[in-house]
Amino acid sequence: MKIWDLAKTANRNLFRAKLRTFLTVMAIFVGAFTLCMTNGIGDGLKAYVETQVKSIEGNRILFVRKKLPAELEDQMQSKGPVEYKAATKDEEGNTIDPNTMMVTVDQMDSLRKRLPGVRSITPAFPVRSEYITMEGARKYQVGLGMLSEGIEQKLEAGSMFDGTNQVILPIHLARAFDEKVENLVGKTVILAYKFGEEGELKDRKLKIVGIATKGMIANLNGFVDAATAREIYKEQMSEAPNYNMFQSFTVQLERQDDGLLKSTKDKLDKMGFVALSIADIEKRTYDAIGILQVGLNLFALVALLAASFGIINTLVIAVLERTKEIGLQKALGMGRFRVFLLFALESILIGFWGALLGIVSAVAVGTIANTVLAKTYFESFEGFNLFAFRPLALGAVMLLVCLVAFLAGVMPAVRASRLNPIEALRYE
Amino acid sequence: MLETKNLGRTFTSDSVKYEVLKDISLQIAKGESVAIVGKSGSGKSTLMHILACLDEPTNGTVAFEGRDYGSLSERERDKLRNRKFGFVFQQFFLNGRDTVFDNIVLPMRIRGLDESRIREAATGALVSVGLDDKAMKRAKDLSGGEKQRVCIARALVGDPDVIFADEPTGNLDSKTSGTIEDLILTLNREKGITVVVVTHDEDLASRCGRTINLKDGRIVANDTQGEHGEAGE
Ligand SMILES: Nc1ncnc2c1ncn2[C@@H]1O[C@H](COP(=O)(O)OP(=O)(O)O)[C@@H](O)[C@H]1O
Ligand SMILES: [Mg+2]
Repeated sequence: MKIWDLAKTANRNLFRAKLRTFLTVMAIFVGAFTLCMTNGIGDGLKAYVETQVKSIEGNRILFVRKKLPAELEDQMQSKGPVEYKAATKDEEGNTIDPNTMMVTVDQMDSLRKRLPGVRSITPAFPVRSEYITMEGARKYQVGLGMLSEGIEQKLEAGSMFDGTNQVILPIHLARAFDEKVENLVGKTVILAYKFGEEGELKDRKLKIVGIATKGMIANLNGFVDAATAREIYKEQMSEAPNYNMFQSFTVQLERQDDGLLKSTKDKLDKMGFVALSIADIEKRTYDAIGILQVGLNLFALVALLAASFGIINTLVIAVLERTKEIGLQKALGMGRFRVFLLFALESILIGFWGALLGIVSAVAVGTIANTVLAKTYFESFEGFNLFAFRPLALGAVMLLVCLVAFLAGVMPAVRASRLNPIEALRYE
Repeated sequence: MLETKNLGRTFTSDSVKYEVLKDISLQIAKGESVAIVGKSGSGKSTLMHILACLDEPTNGTVAFEGRDYGSLSERERDKLRNRKFGFVFQQFFLNGRDTVFDNIVLPMRIRGLDESRIREAATGALVSVGLDDKAMKRAKDLSGGEKQRVCIARALVGDPDVIFADEPTGNLDSKTSGTIEDLILTLNREKGITVVVVTHDEDLASRCGRTINLKDGRIVANDTQGEHGEAGE
């Protein structure tokens, strides 16, 4: 029999036992639907994180912190007490205290001298601002961060810093000043912040160089250049006890070079630091979401497994019911393998229809859910779709379901193929 | 064309052996019409199944056109049945929900022919059995006689050398039986198709060219019509 004729026959056989086929297809449908949804959530998260993480770029940047004492001791697993280690001095005369996470600016400077190919090492100097305003505009609160040289924030308009006293505004704030945000580039804003012990307000004029694209941090935060941040920090904090001490800092390389990035990371590791590039951070985040996605998908796969028993059941009954028909087909010269194929195809078709229904419904439900959620729950997460459906993932669901269905059909199909035609025709 | 030598068939159920066929040697020539008669349980169907390559003998050999069935692979046996043989059964074995057309073309579909060839052959077969106006009817809506004509058309469609019929009139009243008998014997006469028919029906047996009489798995008479008197002993 030609494959096409077999497929037509298989489909016709399925439609004959309408109710039974329908119920089995529904079980598969539930499994396929769930799988599309759980996988869709994972992909949705990935896509969202990607747009967020991708709003910051920089391939010559390392984010660095000191290792925890436990990490240094390689004592992560042992639950025993950690021995006290006294502070020592390094060759530059800086105190190395393994009991604190803090690193001083001086230590950073000496670190830079010992690391060839490193252009600068700076902490993220924190800036505590009171408000930001423009001439003729209201005063707005704003969080300000520092962007180290070498980090590229994605911009809606303008460009990255090229001097001091420059600011990149978050898009929401920029819109409050001017709906056409590109008009703001080059204009001046006034930043007010407290300084000194009395905490009187001080103004500083900043030039708007860019407007940040939407993103997790950039939705709310603006950025100033490193030099400006350092100045304001000094004005605000020079009296504080932990002035110029930081828990983390960024290392900027002189040039973009994967080899240099890697060797610098290794050197920092030996010196007792943990260094992560932006790519490392992305990978960690993706890995975490990936694990979550696999976990969710496992639930859907259990549903699919349960449904596959439905297929086995349906086909076993079909073989019993059609014993005479199979006997006749074999008597008329249909080979064992063709009989096997016929039942395998019926099984795959059940999988196919179930998967098709599941995929179509999942995409429909997911799309509706996305629009509803975007207006309610996730209003503040611009651009976040809980469900993302990649054609490739949907194709994979289809293939997987058909494969599971095929495997479920093997046992009944083998039974059918082994029927002895005379006995089958005799069968009452 | 069909030949058996010292053929025996033993069934074993619950470790008890039933010798259903014993030492059967016979020859059937091309174009013959042969009736296999005998009491119920005498082994007629079993003999027919072995001749038709549906069952294998326990002893002895069967051959079609000189080819011993024992030397054929499963594929070759399937192919032999599909291309050279046609089958008619007492219980019809039609697919009630399918159309007459779909039932008839089953052997052609199994053979993997093109749809145009299939249509052509089906039309010819339907005309031969006088059902050309019922091609698109569902098989379950036909009368018993019509159903058996569909079966004959299905046996005929693949242009077989031999048609095997197991009690083809067993489920029909005497009048319809007559038409079916006519049909089968016409095919034998006009198309030269060899016919092997298992039957209880004296009338049908007497119209065949030869009668093989089985009793307890042995041939007790193998008469060409008109030699009745001589084979009495
Ligand atoms: N597969 C089988 N297993 C056991 N006994 C069988 C089998 N097929 C046939 N028989 C026995 O062989 C004998 C002959 O059967 P069969 O050839 O169908 O007789 P008939 O067609 O002449 O009525 C019967 O007694 C039947 O029970
Ligand atoms: Mg019988």
